[in-house]
Amino acid sequence: MLLELSEEHREHLAFLPGVDRAVVAEFGRIAVEFLRRGSNPKIYEGAARKLNVSRDTVQHGVEGLTYLLTESSKLMISELDFQDSVFVLGFSEELNRLLLQLYLDNRKEIRTILSELAPGLPSYHSLEWRLDAQLASRSLRQQIKPSVTIKLHLHENGDHTTRVLQTDPATLLHLVQQLEQALGEMKTKHCRRVVRNIK
Amino acid sequence: MELSEYVQQGLQMLADPGCFGPGAFALLLRAAFQSLLDAQADAAVLDHPDLKHIDPVVLKHCQAAAATWILEAGKQRADKSALSTYLEECKFDRERIELFCTEYQNNKNSLETLLGSLGRSLPHITDVSWRLEYQIKTNQLHKLYRPAYLVTLNVENTDSGSPPEINFSCNMEQLQDLVGKLKDASKSLERATQL
Repeated sequence: MLLELSEEHREHLAFLPGVDRAVVAEFGRIAVEFLRRGSNPKIYEGAARKLNVSRDTVQHGVEGLTYLLTESSKLMISELDFQDSVFVLGFSEELNRLLLQLYLDNRKEIRTILSELAPGLPSYHSLEWRLDAQLASRSLRQQIKPSVTIKLHLHENGDHTTRVLQTDPATLLHLVQQLEQALGEMKTKHCRRVVRNIK
Repeated sequence: MELSEYVQQGLQMLADPGCFGPGAFALLLRAAFQSLLDAQADAAVLDHPDLKHIDPVVLKHCQAAAATWILEAGKQRADKSALSTYLEECKFDRERIELFCTEYQNNKNSLETLLGSLGRSLPHITDVSWRLEYQIKTNQLHKLYRPAYLVTLNVENTDSGSPPEINFSCNMEQLQDLVGKLKDASKSLERATQL
């Protein structure tokens, strides 16, 4: 599958052949950093001054590169397809190789970042547990009531939340049994067949 | 057992054969236990022909006193001798003490279950459901091709306004981690109960 690059996009990227490879590599680094942490306009100013071009040119160059990397990562296009897509830009072989390397080096991380954009539910992070025995309460003395206290750590929209919960021994065993069944499902013939056939 | 003036007076009236004949005594006793342990019980427990001759204010006073005594005994997990001693001090005769103790013994388990269930606790997990899905693509990311689980914990709350369900997603490793930790907890529980 080839990437389709619009006129505007090609214009933005047209800036790249005019600078040497260290600069392109630097722009690539900035692009990925912006994906990780958000853009920082001040960087454009500094770069524009050093390269003696307008701020807009630098911004477009970085944005064009960012879009190239994210679209390729999103579609998970093959090396060959990437090279063919970039070929239409008419860059030098060296630049093409550099761009390909940039793509391959950063693809995994970019996909991880993109996956965080999906409508998501809180996701599991970890769990702590503690065994307790309730000995007395205001309404009843001399008890021995075993219970399990659980601290569930979840990730929700980038925030770390915790829920403190409790359960009794019987329910704990029930939970373990149910969730082991859930784990076992992936090993069944049905699921294996699905995984094999959807590609 | 330390009980208030009001309760002691009520018990003393209950002990008095002049106030409560043997039949009425037994009925009031039963009514006291019922009002505590029977979820459907209401004021009608005192509506019995054999109690009609007694002043309703006295009836209510004595029922309240008996109920308070029962709850206090249950809370303290009082044994038979402690119960008898207290009732003797309230001037109950042998027969009435026996009846009181027998009724108490019969209802002891329900009483303790009731008292044990009162009080604040953390949100309590009651059940779990799960869903296994195979993720294919999102609008941001194509060719995902990975399994994911959606787990729902049903939670019973004693107070707090938080929702009755906790939903979260996890992948295979995370679910294995979760199950592993819960298994550790249950093994630890097993060992503790064998001590």
